[in-house]
Amino acid sequence: MNTLRIGHLPGLNEADLCWQDLPGLQLPSGHCLQVPTLSPAQLQALCAQLRGPGRAALRALPVREIVQAIDASVQQLLDVRSEEHQCLLHWLPLVTGFSAEMVRINLNATLRTYRAPQLQRFIAEDFGSADMLDAFVPRPTGGLTHAEGAALITHVWAGNVPGLALWSLVSGLLVKAGNLGKVSQGEPVLASVFARTLARIAPVLGSAMAVLWWERQEQALAQSAWAASDVVLAFGGDAALADLQRQMPAGVRFLPHGHKISFGAVGREALSASRAPRSARLAAEDLLRHEQQGCYSPQCFYVERGGQVSPQEFAERLAAELQQLATRFPRPQPGLAEATQIAQWRSRFEWDAQVTLIGQPEDGWCVASHAEPVALAPGPLHRCVQVVAIDALDALAPWLQERQPQLQTVGLAVAPERLQPLALRLAACGVTRICALGQMPLPAPGWHNDGRPSLLDLVNLVDLEASAETLAEGLAGYEI
Amino acid sequence: MARLHADLIPALLDFIASPHADEAAFNALALRLFAHQSQHNTAYARFCRARGRTPATVRHWHEIPAVPVNAFKELTLSCVPVAQCARVFTTSGTTREVKGQHFHPDLDVWNASMRRHFADCVGPLPMRMGILFPDETEMPHSSLAHYLQLALQEHGLSGSRHAWNAEGVDSLAVLALVREAQATGEPLALLGATYSFVHLMDTLAPNPLDLRLPPGSWLLDTGGFKGRSREVPIDAFYDQLSATFGVSRAHCLNMYGMTELSTQCYDAGNASVPSFKRTPHWMRTRAVDPLTGLPVPAGQPGILVHTDLANFNSVTTLLTEDVGLVSEGGFQLLGRAEGAQAKGCSLAVEDFVQAARA
Repeated sequence: MNTLRIGHLPGLNEADLCWQDLPGLQLPSGHCLQVPTLSPAQLQALCAQLRGPGRAALRALPVREIVQAIDASVQQLLDVRSEEHQCLLHWLPLVTGFSAEMVRINLNATLRTYRAPQLQRFIAEDFGSADMLDAFVPRPTGGLTHAEGAALITHVWAGNVPGLALWSLVSGLLVKAGNLGKVSQGEPVLASVFARTLARIAPVLGSAMAVLWWERQEQALAQSAWAASDVVLAFGGDAALADLQRQMPAGVRFLPHGHKISFGAVGREALSASRAPRSARLAAEDLLRHEQQGCYSPQCFYVERGGQVSPQEFAERLAAELQQLATRFPRPQPGLAEATQIAQWRSRFEWDAQVTLIGQPEDGWCVASHAEPVALAPGPLHRCVQVVAIDALDALAPWLQERQPQLQTVGLAVAPERLQPLALRLAACGVTRICALGQMPLPAPGWHNDGRPSLLDLVNLVDLEASAETLAEGLAGYEI
Repeated sequence: MARLHADLIPALLDFIASPHADEAAFNALALRLFAHQSQHNTAYARFCRARGRTPATVRHWHEIPAVPVNAFKELTLSCVPVAQCARVFTTSGTTREVKGQHFHPDLDVWNASMRRHFADCVGPLPMRMGILFPDETEMPHSSLAHYLQLALQEHGLSGSRHAWNAEGVDSLAVLALVREAQATGEPLALLGATYSFVHLMDTLAPNPLDLRLPPGSWLLDTGGFKGRSREVPIDAFYDQLSATFGVSRAHCLNMYGMTELSTQCYDAGNASVPSFKRTPHWMRTRAVDPLTGLPVPAGQPGILVHTDLANFNSVTTLLTEDVGLVSEGGFQLLGRAEGAQAKGCSLAVEDFVQAARA
């Protein structure tokens, strides 16, 4: 039996733990993922450990040391010879449904964003320097400010994209908070392996974070987690998030990250005979990485008319790229439900005279090329994408309106003089991240996920006003 | 089009009336209907051309292009101009959702199909009936309202009636029917939407009454919960139904029907679930891979595709969102193809699943 136990529970006695199979996963026979089943009393003890001694020890460390510990753990996970790396390569394809090749490529790209230089940038992004997390720092307008991390952050992770959990867990550690992470059934592995590695390399960090899972229906467990938390950071669909929001006790800072939709926008400058092939290649790569399942993955490409290569020709080139990439990265076999969705999506376009459907059902990808603009709409993923012809990218706004609260990333390919004006228009539409075509699933370290600061939302900014300094001066022992 | 009524309709009615039909006869009529539909149903004709399937290339009813049920929401799938259609049945759903429409020039074939298979599968008949659903005047566009009314007209003994009011299931009216049956010892049949039974049992639960029906009584539910009542695991539902009315699970029948079809399928009770649903000789069901449309290996679950020859005016062949196991003469329904756990943090999955469910 090939069994992996998920979880990291500092302070709890290993002998007192009960384990159950994680439900909802379809693993090959002989494989089994187990999660601990905690009693409400055990969870309360765990929260007390994280909020109390765990966090106190973490808080005593300078940020520099936390960064180094995370860096060392990430190096360990990146090292192909390490047991941890092999464990991830073995389990991630099984639980996520991504191909082994896709997992390998994405894992490295994701982990690389959590090495020391990137983490330092992460902190600089929100606080200028790490000093603010370690001490009080002077403010230009007088007085001092210190960033005090939450005593306990509960993270509710969702979906099957490896790395999502890492982003929020690392953020919590950087602000020296206690962290309770609830893994998703779609990808429970990475957070658990990371937490155990980190705990081995840096026990102080290990004692300030826990990784576990509970049934959504287990209200008693959930309630004790919320009650012990200052911040609850949750990922998921609108319904799940609304449900969580209702459960939050007053005073808990709730940070929801809902499902998002992203798209590419290809300007006519990127559609010259010499540039179009590269543009199509980049678009195909964006689509393939994470099998379109990331919030930042494109579901649609708006392609401008007036280039040497028409939107329809771009669609055909994109199709050719997808076909080529499919040989190296075959599409994971969709389940019956997903296949039904793909079939429904395809057939809707078969009826539509404005749409050319490129790709056969058995191809493992599909491009629907629209001759006229249509509103941005989600599709069935699995490499199904719409290419929409539009006269000018400046006129995108009405087609995005309906999705305004859900917009996230735009992968852009335009000439430099158009970049900022177009970015401003997109910002007004609700887009929160604009990057190069080809970089959509690879957000820069320290990015503002869904337009929010990564770390600032997890701390209280504590002001030490100038008046206190002034009064203190008068109370010094050496004052005459 | 006049030829349709002179020619195709009588052939169809004869076919339904015949005791059974072999593969060759089914195939011949299916191809005849395909030729008709791919000529007169404009939207379907375009769909078939795009798939490269025309009467010239289709030799076997398996090759008839299957239309996804969602297409009924977006397109007019009718050979006869809709203005000339006496009846349109619409799919259920909230007012905000787009509803699928199924146009019927008249209901002769629909009614013949219903009468024949109902009489073959449901019973004993005739019977005193209580209908847990609105009547046809209240819901003229509901195929289920029409179906239940027809059952009542054809097979209902005197005293049969609807037990429904403005609030939903009229539990007092049901109680009256049950009391009459208990007093006379004559069996009673209750027919209605699955969620109506759940509402009824929920309403009656606080004051447990003796609702046990006389021997020979049976129950027929259909349609599932559709988010209109609490979702009950199907085994628990039949346990509760059986306990409440004192009718063995073998006499708790379930009808499988769709607005987009003109024929219903029945099991022989739900002693064990999932039950086997029988198709009549004018309807055949296959389990396919939804992407390729090719049949799944025998004994494996696939998406159900129904070829219903009574669907003469729309399309005979439908790609459903139901997962099932097919064997000779029918299928087992395993569930809806929506159980897939939403993956990723992309909007698409959840949103798309919701849209497809609507």
